[in-house]
Amino acid sequence: MNSFLLGTILFSIGGIASIFFNEKIKPFIFLIFAVLAQFFLLPQSFGVLTNGGMIQLQLNFSEPIGSAFIRLDPLSAFFVSIISLGGILASIYSVGYMKMYKGESAALSSYYFFLGLMISAMLLVVTFQNAILFLIAWEIMSIASFFLVTFENEKEEVRKAGIYYFIAMQIGAAFLIAAFSWTSALSGSLDFASFGAVLTHSNSTSILLFVLFFIGFGTKAGFVPMHTWLPLAHPAAPTGVSALMSGVMIKTGIYGILRIILIVGVPDYRLAYGVLLLSVITGIFGVLNAIAQHDLKKLLAYHSIENIGIIGMGIGLGMLGLVYNLNAIAMLGFLGALLHVFNHFVFKSILFYGAGVVYSQTHTRNIDKLGGLIKSMPSTAIMFLVASLAICGMPLLNGFISEFAIYLGIAKSFSVNNLALNIAALLGISGLAFIGTMALLCFTKVFGICFLGSPRKEFNHVLTDKDFSFQLPMSFLTALIFVIGLFPLYAVLLLSKVISQFLPSNFIFDFYNLIPLFNTLTYAFIVLAGLMGFFWLIRSLLLRGRQVKEFKTWDCGYQVTSSRIQYTSGSFAQPFLHLVRELVPQKIKIVKEWALFPKEAHMESHSQDFSDRLLIQPAINFLNKFMNMFSWIQSGKMQQYIIYGLLFLLFLLIWIFGAS
Amino acid sequence: MQKIIIIMLLIVSPFFFVGIINRVKAVWAGRKGSSVFQPYYDFFKLIRKGEVISRTTSIVFQITPSINIAAILFALLIVPTPVSGSVIKFPGDFVLFAYSLALAKFMTVIAAMDTGSSFEGMGASREVTFSTIIETAFFIVLGSLALLTGQVSFETIFVMLNISAGYTVLVKVLLVISLFIMLLTEGSRVPVDDPNTHLELTMIHEVMILDYSGPDLAFILYSTALKMVVISLLIADLIIPFNMLFLPALGITAVILIAVFISVGLVESLIARLRMSHVPQFIFIMTALSLTAFAIIIFFLRGGF
Repeated sequence: MNSFLLGTILFSIGGIASIFFNEKIKPFIFLIFAVLAQFFLLPQSFGVLTNGGMIQLQLNFSEPIGSAFIRLDPLSAFFVSIISLGGILASIYSVGYMKMYKGESAALSSYYFFLGLMISAMLLVVTFQNAILFLIAWEIMSIASFFLVTFENEKEEVRKAGIYYFIAMQIGAAFLIAAFSWTSALSGSLDFASFGAVLTHSNSTSILLFVLFFIGFGTKAGFVPMHTWLPLAHPAAPTGVSALMSGVMIKTGIYGILRIILIVGVPDYRLAYGVLLLSVITGIFGVLNAIAQHDLKKLLAYHSIENIGIIGMGIGLGMLGLVYNLNAIAMLGFLGALLHVFNHFVFKSILFYGAGVVYSQTHTRNIDKLGGLIKSMPSTAIMFLVASLAICGMPLLNGFISEFAIYLGIAKSFSVNNLALNIAALLGISGLAFIGTMALLCFTKVFGICFLGSPRKEFNHVLTDKDFSFQLPMSFLTALIFVIGLFPLYAVLLLSKVISQFLPSNFIFDFYNLIPLFNTLTYAFIVLAGLMGFFWLIRSLLLRGRQVKEFKTWDCGYQVTSSRIQYTSGSFAQPFLHLVRELVPQKIKIVKEWALFPKEAHMESHSQDFSDRLLIQPAINFLNKFMNMFSWIQSGKMQQYIIYGLLFLLFLLIWIFGAS
Repeated sequence: MQKIIIIMLLIVSPFFFVGIINRVKAVWAGRKGSSVFQPYYDFFKLIRKGEVISRTTSIVFQITPSINIAAILFALLIVPTPVSGSVIKFPGDFVLFAYSLALAKFMTVIAAMDTGSSFEGMGASREVTFSTIIETAFFIVLGSLALLTGQVSFETIFVMLNISAGYTVLVKVLLVISLFIMLLTEGSRVPVDDPNTHLELTMIHEVMILDYSGPDLAFILYSTALKMVVISLLIADLIIPFNMLFLPALGITAVILIAVFISVGLVESLIARLRMSHVPQFIFIMTALSLTAFAIIIFFLRGGF
């Protein structure tokens, strides 16, 4: 356990140490500490993941905290390994990416300081098992990430996004503080282990407490309608941080929800259905909005919301399995959710890193200004493609495995003789399929517009992605995509101890049924890959020695005059967005002048976030109005303030004399 | 052994079925029409040719036909036939089936984007738009079948399907019509798409493959035809019981497949292509039918709503 704490502290020490070095060495100092931390963190967490059991350390504080536990059980160990992997990848990536900010030494110091602090705080969040310590770590994590989001704070939009993020986090934290203090008041202890006595009952208090916890953690994770900070904060942050936030930090919300479920044991059936329903809505809502985006990083942020929805569907399914005592379904649900947590970390990091490479070279995040990048940065493009295929759940890749587990769990619940469960299953299976195909639409759009076709804008400098700090993290993650995709059994076995925490001990029988299943998947994928190779070989053999001419794209006899005539992301998504115009309202502005011949025209479209428009904005407006009613107090006149002071003294006098 | 024969037969058959569609259309129009084997001649002619590749394109454009053909052939291995069952089977295999088809679609779409042509972008955009509806409806069909039989693998679903009776007839009719709509859409046939012309702005699939030539085009034509066979096999599975002897089962399957493709030809002769804005409404029929089927099963199986 001490080595875990040492590993955790190392990230922060790295951040502090890098302050004292000059700009060029900073990233490497941080990197050294991040690498060192792996030696302490990974063996320990893998040990717990493979052997099960629990490592714990008791810390004795004075009141009010009292004695507190740091525990590393399989669930925590799983998240610890994601966080430490995410941490080191982010520190490698930052070496190249932060070159953009040459000469801003002070800003870079703060970047590495807060990066280290955030990673350390995340590691503590998933291991602290005491309400107060947990909340302290949680707040440090939020505040450190706030400073990272506002790294480019000279920009107005970044400052706005940062403050929005900060407020959203504090609202979420308020729910958590309420939930934690209420629970510990009822249980009489701050230790999580004692919470079970309060939360396991199926009465209205424990349900209300679960809802409070869910809102608090769900704000971090990005469940609809608490998600509105994600599409603002992710694009504002430097890309290494966006990847860390999207791949790792929002998962601490998922961790919180899973931890509460673990404490609750068998949840109330209403909560299980509620989580499933909200997750389907979250998934569909996230991807619908992603399709409408033109900003690459904003689009990816909405996809994080979508994937949180998929993870939530797995959790909801697992809860339903627990409610109805269906081990096979509960197992598949939690397996899908946990594996998707890891998978999403893998491919979303690649996608953000890829977007960052594009941004560092072209200095634009607008998809419609890009195009043909596969020619100038082929390896980034191919890895981006693999990640896109994986996020759409295509076979051979890791995304398929976790979605498959959820699909199978849902399909199995059709055979259960329970009307409500069957209808929930229909909702789940069609929702997941709908999310999947919309993701396909969105990623064919992103990849097709950014990387394929011909460039929509000329750049004066050479675009290149040849930098070890770009290539190394991305190729490592791409390899992981294939490893998990082709050999899912090992990933499943590695997660078995985590899953066993959620299930009654007689689930082992169902678990052994999975082994032949995932073995068959491996064989099936080998057949599929073999077929692909076979036909590629035939094609190459057929074309050998034959004439393969290169020519212009055949445009039905019409010679292309400009690369701007290509389809754009707006036009690509238009038919679909027209179908769902009620759900994703778009503001479209067209400026067109007609003389004898058409003149220059202009068109722009903006999508509006449903919940931002219907929920957040009205709330802000109401608050503004309400607070304005008291604005007369702050008149700005000195005389008035002196009167306030006198009134206050008078009040004190009355109070003191009145009391005596 | 039987499995190998059946798979080999299915692998060589797709163009024959395309030939049937063309012949039906010709006969209906009062022409004599070309031989049903004409698509084979076209295929071998293309296989023997060289290629012209657009300068704009990248490796994505070149690997797509091979991946497509592999993915759809793989889907064929998962679909059971009433004669010999499926080659690859495991719980949840239908998910892999649907996602293999989706993989082919993903690659086709980005290959179209790879050419940088606005025509192909248009086709690509429409293809993915319609597929959002069709895939969702397909999973409702699968959900209905899983609900009806309590099974989670294609083969066992269809085996169990044949011993239940009564209201299942109605369910089967609804699902057959749903799958027929899927066949028309995925096979890019009238009234969604028209395989004969590719220069009009209303095209979907044909316009996406404008830039292909030679062996690559042959691969793509084959993949499309094979995809239709795969989906029509699902229709045959719904109709034919799984407990028949080899030869009768083979005969009836062949008859059903031919009947399905004759119907496709008849639909093409009788119905005009829909306006692009009406296509989603047409595909939503599939969603509605499959939901109705689901509701009927719930009503009879679980005793009410």
